[in-house]
Amino acid sequence: MISRRQFTQSLSALAVSASTGVLNAATEASSIEAAETDAARQIAPAKDSSPFRLGIIGAGSRGQELIRSFLRVPGVSVAAAADVYEPRFAQLNRICGHEVAPHKDYRALLDRKDLDAVIVATPLGLHGEHVVAALSSGHHVYGEKVMAYTVEQANAIVAAASENKRIYQIGHQYRYSPWIRAAVQRVQQGEIGDVTHIIGYWHRNNDWRRPVPDPSLEHLINWRLYHQWSLGLIAELGSHHMDIANWVFGEYPEAALASGSICRYHDGRETDDNVQAILSYSGGRRFIFTSITDNAKMGDQLWLYGTKGSLNLTLQDATFFYEPKKITKPVVAANGKDEGVVTSASYNPSNEMPYRGPGKPVDVSTAEDPTTAATRAFIYCVRTGTSPIADAKVGLGSALGVIQANESLRLRKEIPISSKA
Amino acid sequence: MPLTLRATLPGGQILTCFAAFALTLGQVFVAAQTPPAATRFHLSHAAMGTEFTIDLYAKDQSTAEQQANVAFDEIDRLEDLLSNYRPSSELSRISRDAGNGPVVTDPETFQFLERSLFWSQRSSGAFDITVGPLLRVWGFYQHGGRVPLDTELKSLRDSIGSEKITLDEEHRSVSFKNHHAMDLDPGSIGKGFAVDAAVRLLREAGVQSALISAGGSTLYAIGAPPGESGWIVKVEDPRSTGITAATVLLKDTSLSSGACTQKFFIKDGHRYCHIFNPQTLRPMEGVLQSTVISPSATDSDALSTVVFVLPPEASRQLLTSMPNTEALLFRGPTPVSDCIAINWQGQPCSPNHSSSKSPSQEKGN
Repeated sequence: MISRRQFTQSLSALAVSASTGVLNAATEASSIEAAETDAARQIAPAKDSSPFRLGIIGAGSRGQELIRSFLRVPGVSVAAAADVYEPRFAQLNRICGHEVAPHKDYRALLDRKDLDAVIVATPLGLHGEHVVAALSSGHHVYGEKVMAYTVEQANAIVAAASENKRIYQIGHQYRYSPWIRAAVQRVQQGEIGDVTHIIGYWHRNNDWRRPVPDPSLEHLINWRLYHQWSLGLIAELGSHHMDIANWVFGEYPEAALASGSICRYHDGRETDDNVQAILSYSGGRRFIFTSITDNAKMGDQLWLYGTKGSLNLTLQDATFFYEPKKITKPVVAANGKDEGVVTSASYNPSNEMPYRGPGKPVDVSTAEDPTTAATRAFIYCVRTGTSPIADAKVGLGSALGVIQANESLRLRKEIPISSKA
Repeated sequence: MPLTLRATLPGGQILTCFAAFALTLGQVFVAAQTPPAATRFHLSHAAMGTEFTIDLYAKDQSTAEQQANVAFDEIDRLEDLLSNYRPSSELSRISRDAGNGPVVTDPETFQFLERSLFWSQRSSGAFDITVGPLLRVWGFYQHGGRVPLDTELKSLRDSIGSEKITLDEEHRSVSFKNHHAMDLDPGSIGKGFAVDAAVRLLREAGVQSALISAGGSTLYAIGAPPGESGWIVKVEDPRSTGITAATVLLKDTSLSSGACTQKFFIKDGHRYCHIFNPQTLRPMEGVLQSTVISPSATDSDALSTVVFVLPPEASRQLLTSMPNTEALLFRGPTPVSDCIAINWQGQPCSPNHSSSKSPSQEKGN
């Protein structure tokens, strides 16, 4: 089990010094560079094309998208799949271009001895069971976010990866986005001063439903709408943003406060169709997440607010904005004589208007799809025995935020966050 | 004017019959397959630089939205995969890296490239996804337009030509023989590829009657509206505003059009079209519009460019070996203004054919 202190220590390369003052600037800069060098190595185009056989548990829409990305890595093939919904096998075969061995019971897939790694992309409520079983059977695992449905399950995954000496990579692919990495590195180097607030928007305008061929399949296909398997919008959308907040703030959150309701889609769903969550970090810093599902104006974006500027992150780009400088130059009186000041009306409405001008985009030469980079990095890590960028500790951090924000939403009160269940 | 039905039977064969018979046949099918209470919904979604629309029959709005969203999500996914405007797309990754050595890609992208190269080969280079630099140098990416110098065009020779792309099927890899980055442009086939994918998912979602449109340039009809034998699609005569050159009933097949009537720029009184002849490196001249019907939207999209660029006789020769495929070409205003039908059912090019009648009037013929 990893404590917040251990996690913070493990991320010493990050922005810890801003709040604790533990590291000096030189050490911090060196650590950031070392972390980026390691990340670049994992993300780099693969040179090894030796055969690598994957199995997948849960071949639904996200699992299929992961497979498409994995198949862009030289040498990778999909050997087996486990799913309880029969049509998934034909869909997977079409994506792979060949027949993938089907298993109705995931344990049969894990009994196979011909797999180099296993993808777990089942509904959230099943992650704990499936990932622990996969790790315990000796398989390396690429696990979809969120890591687990409960804190106990998340800790069990951390322990299983450690005890079995297996690689576990969480599907927080934003960490593999070249433009997000480049932007966060600049934030860590102080480009926008001290970041005190991060706001994540994920707004959509649809009911989040999938068509159901038969009413008996409603809970299976629309599992995101039911408590049995889902922690709702905070999990499925907010977890990515929470992970970036953890990354930028360099620690796990301390407390969660959340709210939500069903205000638009009164269709029998159990999870809310709009949520608002606040995660607290040391020094009074805050991450705020909002998700609504009947207006997509804001889309999916993050704003990092620092004392010297702001950073906007999206799935396609990153853009810096800078606060106006408060001090331009020292005032020198002519001939040492104070000329006095001229009075004026103090009200200036433009001071309170939002900035509507352009920002300064982050320019990267290889702006590839984050999931493509993340899956390639996972194969690299398994082939070389390297610890992933988005490892179990990273997964635990966002899982804690998601799980306790949902607990806060359920109990209508702020919940302290601890990795201890 | 007789109205003909274009319908694809299982196995890809096109069923063609005259409207009077088709309507009777269609009503029998519809009565058995479509719930009588189905209502028509029209949904739209911005993607791939245009507006995709879906007209579909469903029992209620919620069902219609869920079914359409599956298709729109798929179109968005394919835009992420194929857009040459997005550096993060898989096609951009290939464009950027395949000059340095083989790039392994996923089967779907590989299939897209295979089909693109197939049409390049079949059309002797009239269709070519490597024309990205041409559109760039002629200013079409900036929505402005400029006429480049001959030296600029000459310098692009090494960057254009599908023969410079090597596909390794065994390793599913792509490499460029010229050993530098290229600019693959999916503009003449990508929307059709997306429409085919959306159609597949709509069918899996149980949709039996829908018309999918990629900005009007590529259409696919799933089944037919209740009580009808096909979706009515009108092909405009680009030579005369408001005149319909042909009206077809589309069912389980696709129709694509290429035209210089919307994407072009005018410089010194000359109109420059966004459709290029990859051989001359210059915009096409003297062709106004092409329309192709094919069971595959991917193919009709590509073929609408092929027919636009190839000389008519070459198009006729190519389509002779494709009995399921029809084409209608309009040329003009100079050197010749004419209408050429290839395998086209009916006589859209006959002097007395053009019509501006409403569909309901035409159905009475």
